[in-house]
Amino acid sequence: MDASYPLPDLVAAAQGGDQDAWDAIVERFVPLVGAIARQHRLSEADGDDVSQTVWLRLVEHLGDLREPAALPGWIRTTTRHECLRVIAVRGRTRPADPQEDRVLDGVVDDVAGDDLVAVERRQALREALAELPAARRELLLLLLADPPVGYAEISERLGIPIGSIGPTRARALEQLRRTQALLSLRDPGEVPA
Amino acid sequence: MTDQTPWDELDDDELMAALAQAVAEAGAVPDRRREAARAAFSWRTVDAELAELLHDSALDAGAAVRSGSAPGVDEPRTLSFGSGALALEVEVDGEVVMGQVVGPTPAPGAATVALQRAEGAEGGEGDEVVVEVDAAGFFRVEGVVSGPVRFVVRADGWALTSPWVVL
Repeated sequence: MDASYPLPDLVAAAQGGDQDAWDAIVERFVPLVGAIARQHRLSEADGDDVSQTVWLRLVEHLGDLREPAALPGWIRTTTRHECLRVIAVRGRTRPADPQEDRVLDGVVDDVAGDDLVAVERRQALREALAELPAARRELLLLLLADPPVGYAEISERLGIPIGSIGPTRARALEQLRRTQALLSLRDPGEVPA
Repeated sequence: MTDQTPWDELDDDELMAALAQAVAEAGAVPDRRREAARAAFSWRTVDAELAELLHDSALDAGAAVRSGSAPGVDEPRTLSFGSGALALEVEVDGEVVMGQVVGPTPAPGAATVALQRAEGAEGGEGDEVVVEVDAAGFFRVEGVVSGPVRFVVRADGWALTSPWVVL
């Protein structure tokens, strides 16, 4: 069981005590938790604390989770809330104008707007990638590899002719655009609760 | 291409560029953070009765404004947990945690409070510090460093487990 399994299956298995399913849920959402912590300008150490708290809370919450589709929203809300708590406990986490005492107001302003949309779009793209059939996902990941992987090596690794890499890439991207993850974030200004 | 261009309007190269950013973000997650998240699953308990975090002074409206800095610096942070008729009141002052268990009167020495810490994101072992609750329900723990913790009160016939909270 890995991060490409449908979320309801992962949640059900994790509720039954399956560590692999839990690890897959972590793999899927740990970048989102980190992105939200960065939006809040948390230090790395505070980001670690928030992340760990979110996952420990999810372990407690898992049994009560009736609707797996609610999980991403729960993770977002809990992460934002814990970021604000840590900011309140630790005080200022970034240089601020001493004349300006509106710590929390400032943070709320920071996270509004385009940043939030960009975070959600990156999460949607990762989830879309997980929805693709394994062969297509692997091709895209190899094409995105840093440092780059040559076509000859991709051809060898995936067992497909070099000449079909380009057309397969195009088909994979077309399929990516039609994934549930991208379709549900169709409106560019939309931010899930 | 802007951050808000609809997916259908991104050409293949633009979509690949957006994917590259998304994948890079996942790759940038530190291993210690991923490991800590995985290890959290070992704290799974099937039927532990969980108390609610009823109040955290750190989140009081305007707390940060009043003190002009961290509320915990100038005045102790207070946290209240409750579960049915049981309550746990905690005051955090630097590295000292003082608290009171309110509920069924525990027999002297019969109740304990465990302050639990999960396996650290830094790779530290999980640990537990256990102290006794006095006849009036009070307890004190020293040397408590920051990070996510939870409290477990154990007495004859009942127990109270708090949610995890960052100190």
